[in-house]
Amino acid sequence: MSPFANNHNLNHQPWLPPPHVRLPYENGGDAPHYHGLVTQNGYISRPRTPNIMAEGMSGAEQGSIPTEGELGVEEDAKVAVFREMFVRSEARIAALFKGDEGQGGGNATAVKDGEPVQDVNGVAEAVSEDVAPKKPARAIDEDDYDDYDDEEDEAAPGPLVVKKAITIPAGATNTLSPARPASLSKQSSTSTKSTSPPDQGKTSEEMRKKLEEDKKAAEEAAKRSFNTIFYTLENDRDAMLEQQKLEESDRQVDAEIGNGSNTNNAHVTSAVNGQQGKLSNANLGASSLTLKHLIARIDAKREKVRASDMELRNLMSEVRKNRSKWADEEKVGQEELYEAADKVLSELKAHTEHSTAFLSRVNKREAPDYYNVIKNPMDLGTMTKKLKQHAYKSKQEFVDDLNLIWANCLRYNAEPSHFLRKHALAMRKETEKLVPLIPDIVIRSRAEIEAEERRLQAGDAEGEIDGGEESDDEPIMSSRGRKAPGKQAKKGASKSRTAKQAIVEGTPGAETKPSLHSLGSSGSSNLKNEVLRADSNPPFEGSQNGLSTPPPGGTGTFTPGINGAPGSGPPGSDVMDVDFGTVLGFGLPGSQEDIEHEDLEYRIWKTVTKKDRALVAAERHRLFKGDRLNGDEPALLRTKAGMRRWMRRQRQAVAEGAAAEKNSGEQKDGDNAEQGAETLAEGMEGEEDRVLPDYYDPLSAIPELHERLRWIEDTDGQVVEGSGEFLRMVSKGHFLSPQSSLTKKIEANMRQMQETRKICSKIGVIKQMQLQSQMYTNQFQKYNPEPFVEADIPPHVVSDDGPIMSPWVCRAALQRSVGKILYHAGFEEFQPSALDAITDVAADFFTKLVRTLGVYHEAPKVSTLVPAAGATSSSMNGMEKKWKPMFTKEEIILHCLHENGLDVESLESYVNDDVDRLGAKLGVMHERMTAHLKDLLRPALADGGADGSNAFNDGSEQFVGGDFADEINEDFFGFKELGLDKEFGLSSFTVPLHLLQSRMHNHYQAQNTSALPTLLSCFPTPPPFEPLTRQNIKNQIGLVQNFFLAKIHAQKDGEPLVEDEDLPQKQRFPKPRLPPTGKITSPRKRPAKEQGGNAKKKKKVENLIKGGGDADKENAKEGVKEGKMAAKLKLTLPPPSAQDAGKFSEPEKDDTSGVGMMSPESIAA
Amino acid sequence: MACTLDGPDLEDVEDAAEWKMRLTYHIEQMMFVSGETAEPTPDTTGMIEEIVRQQVIEMLVQCTAQAGRRGSRSISTDDLIFLIRHDRAKVSRLRTFLSWKDVRKNVKDSDDKGGGDAADFAGGEDATAAGVLGGGGPVGDAAKKNKKAKVGLPWEVASFYSEQVPERDDEEDEDEEEMNYATLQRLKNADERTKHMTRDEYVHWSECRQASFTFRKGKRFKEWAGFGIVTDSKPNDDIVDILGFLTFEIVQTLTEEALKVKEAEDLVKRESGGESAQNCRKRKRERGLFDPPEEGRTPIEPRHVEEAFRRLQRRGNKGRAMRNFSKALNRTPLKLI
Repeated sequence: MSPFANNHNLNHQPWLPPPHVRLPYENGGDAPHYHGLVTQNGYISRPRTPNIMAEGMSGAEQGSIPTEGELGVEEDAKVAVFREMFVRSEARIAALFKGDEGQGGGNATAVKDGEPVQDVNGVAEAVSEDVAPKKPARAIDEDDYDDYDDEEDEAAPGPLVVKKAITIPAGATNTLSPARPASLSKQSSTSTKSTSPPDQGKTSEEMRKKLEEDKKAAEEAAKRSFNTIFYTLENDRDAMLEQQKLEESDRQVDAEIGNGSNTNNAHVTSAVNGQQGKLSNANLGASSLTLKHLIARIDAKREKVRASDMELRNLMSEVRKNRSKWADEEKVGQEELYEAADKVLSELKAHTEHSTAFLSRVNKREAPDYYNVIKNPMDLGTMTKKLKQHAYKSKQEFVDDLNLIWANCLRYNAEPSHFLRKHALAMRKETEKLVPLIPDIVIRSRAEIEAEERRLQAGDAEGEIDGGEESDDEPIMSSRGRKAPGKQAKKGASKSRTAKQAIVEGTPGAETKPSLHSLGSSGSSNLKNEVLRADSNPPFEGSQNGLSTPPPGGTGTFTPGINGAPGSGPPGSDVMDVDFGTVLGFGLPGSQEDIEHEDLEYRIWKTVTKKDRALVAAERHRLFKGDRLNGDEPALLRTKAGMRRWMRRQRQAVAEGAAAEKNSGEQKDGDNAEQGAETLAEGMEGEEDRVLPDYYDPLSAIPELHERLRWIEDTDGQVVEGSGEFLRMVSKGHFLSPQSSLTKKIEANMRQMQETRKICSKIGVIKQMQLQSQMYTNQFQKYNPEPFVEADIPPHVVSDDGPIMSPWVCRAALQRSVGKILYHAGFEEFQPSALDAITDVAADFFTKLVRTLGVYHEAPKVSTLVPAAGATSSSMNGMEKKWKPMFTKEEIILHCLHENGLDVESLESYVNDDVDRLGAKLGVMHERMTAHLKDLLRPALADGGADGSNAFNDGSEQFVGGDFADEINEDFFGFKELGLDKEFGLSSFTVPLHLLQSRMHNHYQAQNTSALPTLLSCFPTPPPFEPLTRQNIKNQIGLVQNFFLAKIHAQKDGEPLVEDEDLPQKQRFPKPRLPPTGKITSPRKRPAKEQGGNAKKKKKVENLIKGGGDADKENAKEGVKEGKMAAKLKLTLPPPSAQDAGKFSEPEKDDTSGVGMMSPESIAA
Repeated sequence: MACTLDGPDLEDVEDAAEWKMRLTYHIEQMMFVSGETAEPTPDTTGMIEEIVRQQVIEMLVQCTAQAGRRGSRSISTDDLIFLIRHDRAKVSRLRTFLSWKDVRKNVKDSDDKGGGDAADFAGGEDATAAGVLGGGGPVGDAAKKNKKAKVGLPWEVASFYSEQVPERDDEEDEDEEEMNYATLQRLKNADERTKHMTRDEYVHWSECRQASFTFRKGKRFKEWAGFGIVTDSKPNDDIVDILGFLTFEIVQTLTEEALKVKEAEDLVKRESGGESAQNCRKRKRERGLFDPPEEGRTPIEPRHVEEAFRRLQRRGNKGRAMRNFSKALNRTPLKLI
């Protein structure tokens, strides 16, 4: 689509039927447009007042201004080409008409490219075709609207020409067929007079060009400075306030007008039988035809539409295709004049720097005598109002009013130094600059013109056919607002339209148009018509509202014919140009140079960015309520469009800064391409381009990605891993406590404690064994604490340099340290919750410690006077100020410790008392424990003498028990050699206690039966002993034969002797059993006996030492008494012993059982 | 040392007024021992008494809380010692005191025959009660005979382990010695003071050193200290004795601090008055116990006690370390002297 078409899309939304009217197949294609409309509305509705439409109009215009400007700049070349073409053709036409009025038309058509001709043909076809069938209206209607777009697209190659070519003066649609001759004649008349307009067009065009270039240059300069100069934001507030004032005055004007229309409506209600709600009654100009069905529809559902007539009308006029709000069927030239005037006026108003004082009427309170001095007050607001009320009939009136304002001001504020004079002068200057851009048009009513035309037609009726063709040229001179119908008519694509026109033609009385016609032609104030007019674009409103500015002419000025037709032609095309001109001209610098003395660049900046700055400041301002943030205000959200814009600008800036022009050009191309690629998304978000540097829009800023994090692809589309070289391994031991002498000491202490605890557990076991007669294998858990080893984290890779922020790991490490300290303080184990709590406290404390450190570290620097390096002489001069931190590092640390209740002494005393001395104490404790353990185990050894020789005095049982093996630290018994240490998990060289314990041994055997078969399988089982009988007793050795004989005799029927092992359990002789201490704690029958025997044995030994002899006798007696048992014992023991002898050092047991004391020294450690 | 070892309960018959008088008298005595030579006014003693009482009640409250945390309803000596655990010297003295008390009890239990011996031990006990480690010959003998049981504390190394091991004689507890340093310093000071005393003076001094809040006044003391209100009413005998010991310490600390305050005040006064401070100090040093008071010599006044109390209540940063960076105000509990 051409840029101009673009423009129009932005400015005036192409008309779209409301969704319910559209056919389903259209929906998809239209969606973006529809969306675009919505977003525009969204933009519009930014101001807080609910008066959407009134504001929306101005808002849309404001928003569109920069865009238009920019587009204009970009497309300058094309425009120039088109313009050139236009001018050339214009001149040619003029020449043709000048030279040869009669035949020129034919030539002209011949000269022209074929398109218009075709069009005309199309029209002719269409007309002939469409009169007959009256198609179902609506569907085709919409079809038509769609066709517009298509056609426009087709026409795109030469937009300007086409646009002009297809425009038709107001009223052409109505009067198409009947007025053909008339229009022709009009055309010819315009042509005749078109000699002067081109000049005018040219001059204004040049001016426009110049302005445009100036503006472009200014804007470019300002934009360039965006990236080089930082402007402070201090002026934004002023800009905002001025802008607010401007908007306020606009709103006021609108409100007043709105009130007027409302009252008018009320009036209408009474007057027109309650039909006021009917839109069809409202004058919508040409649109009332094109939108007839829509209007009818809306009227039918009027009660459901929640919008005032005013709003609806505004909506209509906005929605109408390429139709300005100023367009009026009846007023030739109004659109052009008003559009230009409106532009100029808003331009002047936008000059907020100076215009503020003139925006509204002078308040009587502020200047009581004002109205005495000034009889004809005027202000920009009033002018806006008048403009909206269509009170101006010519450029002159408008300009007069403008000048009146400045003159009033200068007159009232007569003294030369008055500040307002400066503003007035500046404004006047601005006015002078802008006024030439307004086409010099006097508005005339359509009827008048037509009448004139008819008159003219009557005058020169020649060349009807030519005139028919000539009508092609007609549109060139009319405003673009007529484009659609004109084109319609020519292309003939829309059948219903033409059909409608035919109807209109046929039944003029049925439509509102004719009545309006009558109004226009009569010029009288028919009540009904007047009301209708007032409803739409009421010119009388001002007077009705009692405003101070009554329309200058009233109805009387409708009298046409002053200037005649010519004004409406070529100047119309100028108006369009003027649009651009005024838009582009708003940033004109230099003119105020004599008024204010400021940095030129700064002023340019100010003027260029003023409005946007004001908007931004207002937005910002809205976020605050008083001095506080306003919580009710919706949050700021960043938009994709904003971010995209930011990025684009950033790139542009970089390109501009770095590369040469060529490069930047390429860059731009790239940008454009990119923009093209992004347009889809952009369309969704309604991009609003502001002439502001990026720092005004921090919301859209995108932080720069670190290069290692970027998504870079190589040529194959593979992602380049950019982060590889930045990764590093976390050094080992990052989460371990550092190896200092203190930690070493602490760990040594902990090890010491563990060792001591081991001994403790042994003592506990022994004490328990002393108390308990029976023991179970699993009763005593082996206390074998693991040494403390701090686990490091598994290898870990990080990419940044800071500490590893992993709360859980850090906490676990702290918890471990806390646990160590707790253990060190003597807690063998602790509840997890307690550990958690202490860890939390510790973490809290350390956080505070570090924060204190930070506070001291960040203390403000202090200045000190330091003797300067060079200076030597005078004291004050030789000093120079130097800034240094308030605290040295040592001071910081000491302060921190102090603040947190610590000091070096307490720390030192902790190390001394709680670590060093504790270590010593623990050592002492350990010694004591070992000594105590020894005491417990070897009471005899206590008085062993200096060289230990006394140890043998009581029977050397410690050697029997094997205790000494541990002491000499040698594998005395060969456990290791035999591999027993591995088999039984022996950790010492002494005989394991459980091996000394018979029951344990039994248990052990029972448990280890699985081990025995393997042994047996290795060796052949020895044959069982032959039971002793009388027969085989001879085989025994002679000494025992008698004994066995006696036993056999003791058996009843000479059965063979039963082996002891085969005896029933009860008859078995219990094995002697003693607790490890050797003391018999519970009185038991048989062991007691044996004990007694043992005691006697002992005594015997003593007696032997003493030399007493009666021990023998006793012994003998006992032998008699216990002979049998003892013999049995002696006899039966060997087999198991023999069996076990190889494996265990069991045999000693029996011997030791005789010695009263048994030392179970060797509890498995 | 004419002090008999009658049961403490026998003396518990005095009425409240009498108790009050005796208390005042004892406080004066304690202050005397602590260095106050002039006779303090009843205001001063009353204030000191109230301070002591407040301290005792605070101690009992804290002990009860501690015992409650242990799960026990009645307080134990450990709870009490735990409160002063940071003051190693005091703990050491207290342990000495307790072990001697033990010795005395043992002696009394074992051989009731020798009253003289008992008196000797009593003297020893009194000496320790006054913060003096009895080192006399007969006491040493007795100590050897009845092996002085060391009072174990739950936070010492010995209690790290599940098994208790008998003490070995040959081991000298080195930190015991260090803990005794402060005690010895006190003794030295006392020696210094008694050096020039006559016999009578010394007798008076010794009597004063026996002053105690609890000795033979158990019932009244318990009432006074709020037993039965802040904690259960049947305290261990040891607890009462420990409290007696601690109250003496409190009075002593307070008096010493108050004397320092007063001295500073006097110094300022004198310097402003133009008198040389050194001269005065010299004279003070030489002054006998019962010398007629000089014109400058005045007793401690309540304001001195107040100031001393304030100074003793001043707490270091440790207590508020965890409140840094938070704006919370917290209750500052009474600091135990």
